[in-house]
Amino acid sequence: MPAFAVALPAGVITRIGGRDGVPVPDAPARGALRPDLDVVFRREYERVVSVAARVLGSRDQAEDVAQEVFLAFNRSSVPAGEAGGWLSVAAAHTALNLIRSGRRRASNEETAASAVPLAEPDVAEVVVTLEERSRVRAALARLPHKQAVALVLRHSGLSYAEVAAALDLSPGSVGTTVRRAESALRKELTRHASSH
Amino acid sequence: MRHPTDGVLRRLLDEPAGVAEADRRHVADCAQCLAALAATREDAALVGAALTAEADVDVPAAWARLSTAASASAAPVRAPAPVPARSARRGRFGELVRRPAAAALAFGVVLAGAGTAAANDWLPIFRTEEVAAIGLDSADLVALPDLEAYGTVEMTGDDDLRPVPDAATAEAESGLDVPEVDALPSGITGEPEYQVGGEVTATFTFDADRAAQAAAEAGETLPTPPAGLDGASVRLVAGPGVAQVWQSGSGAPGLIVGRAVAPSAFSSGIPFETVRDYLLSLPGLPQDVAAQLRTFTADGSTLPLPVPSDLVTTTTEDVDGEEATVLATRDRTLAAVVWVEDGEVTVVAGAFDTGEVLEVARGLR
Repeated sequence: MPAFAVALPAGVITRIGGRDGVPVPDAPARGALRPDLDVVFRREYERVVSVAARVLGSRDQAEDVAQEVFLAFNRSSVPAGEAGGWLSVAAAHTALNLIRSGRRRASNEETAASAVPLAEPDVAEVVVTLEERSRVRAALARLPHKQAVALVLRHSGLSYAEVAAALDLSPGSVGTTVRRAESALRKELTRHASSH
Repeated sequence: MRHPTDGVLRRLLDEPAGVAEADRRHVADCAQCLAALAATREDAALVGAALTAEADVDVPAAWARLSTAASASAAPVRAPAPVPARSARRGRFGELVRRPAAAALAFGVVLAGAGTAAANDWLPIFRTEEVAAIGLDSADLVALPDLEAYGTVEMTGDDDLRPVPDAATAEAESGLDVPEVDALPSGITGEPEYQVGGEVTATFTFDADRAAQAAAEAGETLPTPPAGLDGASVRLVAGPGVAQVWQSGSGAPGLIVGRAVAPSAFSSGIPFETVRDYLLSLPGLPQDVAAQLRTFTADGSTLPLPVPSDLVTTTTEDVDGEEATVLATRDRTLAAVVWVEDGEVTVVAGAFDTGEVLEVARGLR
């Protein structure tokens, strides 16, 4: 069943909806809660924290970012069905802005000490130390913004089409952007490793 | 042909289906590109590991905090930059989720595998009676032999799925009973879209000269073709099929229930086993996969389903007395159940866990 087999999952993956999630006048009044906020929050909160935590390396800070992002969502008229992607992109932007603006007080050492529990890498030979993680995040802050956002979103699981739409890139250039970012971060890790 | 860009190689790791066939073929045969691909994979894995952060959160406590802040919200809140909204994928980020999109696309490849294999690769003489998963590393996917280099592959028939207004029309046009879903899983509501596809035939005709040339270009030696193979054809027939597609809350397909006449195959002028064993010996097919395929096709009834084993887990379960293959992405964002009964293959797939898709599968009427 060639066409059948190809067409079914392709639809699941490639179909992308989209509307600009800019706050609009019919958003809830200040102090009011969107009626769908509860459902969206419970569905997406963990994922949004995860995106921010990739940037920040700290669960506590990531939760602060997630709170900000959900409050912004509450004031917007982004449809609930599109909330997941919108929130992820917003979390990446906000977290990157945070580490760039110097609002982040923690030093690399503090970051390492308070780092979130680390999951096991799924590539057995890849071993990354806490110090390397904090170096990668420092390097992340120095990357061109678009590269950094693309990298974080891609590693957070957004598809190339989703990343492309979020950053106004062509899907074909997402790979190039992500590759450049990874190459830069890899060099940062290698440079440090070779200096020891 | 010029080498694909770094960006194309990067995408090949995550979304092989998004890379042009010509590029995939080039990479599979180009030592320089394979080396670059390996370096790209290493960098991606290293950075991925460095960026990994498990978000083990207390959702009820966070909700209490948010609802208090939002209700009281006198203080201005810094809004993130306006960004385009994206459709939401059902979030299951409770565990390490490293490459859900990659997994999702690989999953597409998995389900496409039956068709791809049927169209391009191993064409056993069989009448499908069951489906079995064959483990592959995703890197092998670009190394699978393209049989167009060894002869001609001709596709005929109605290979487009087209929407039809209702189940009755779908049944009339496909000649199949449209499975009725007993109870939709949570998050899925409303009426499905019905789609129908016609019968498709793929015919592979071996060409010894072309095969020898292709092997030489790849720096390989073509195994000597058995007598009678040159010009012999293998023909595979599958379909028609019907699909029901439910939208999820995000507008993306959330649940798919499909059924099609299962593939069967025929050869011309040469025993099937001869064709099969020769195709399996072609350069490019990993030896362990070839060995597995030989086993699977020994009784001429099992449709092999290539699975990128680093991204997808497979198990078998019973669905109404039939053995079903259950596939799940390791990040648990997608699952599918595939089984064959009375010459028809049925698939239930969606953004659910395996328990939920099995429940739907077992509830079909």
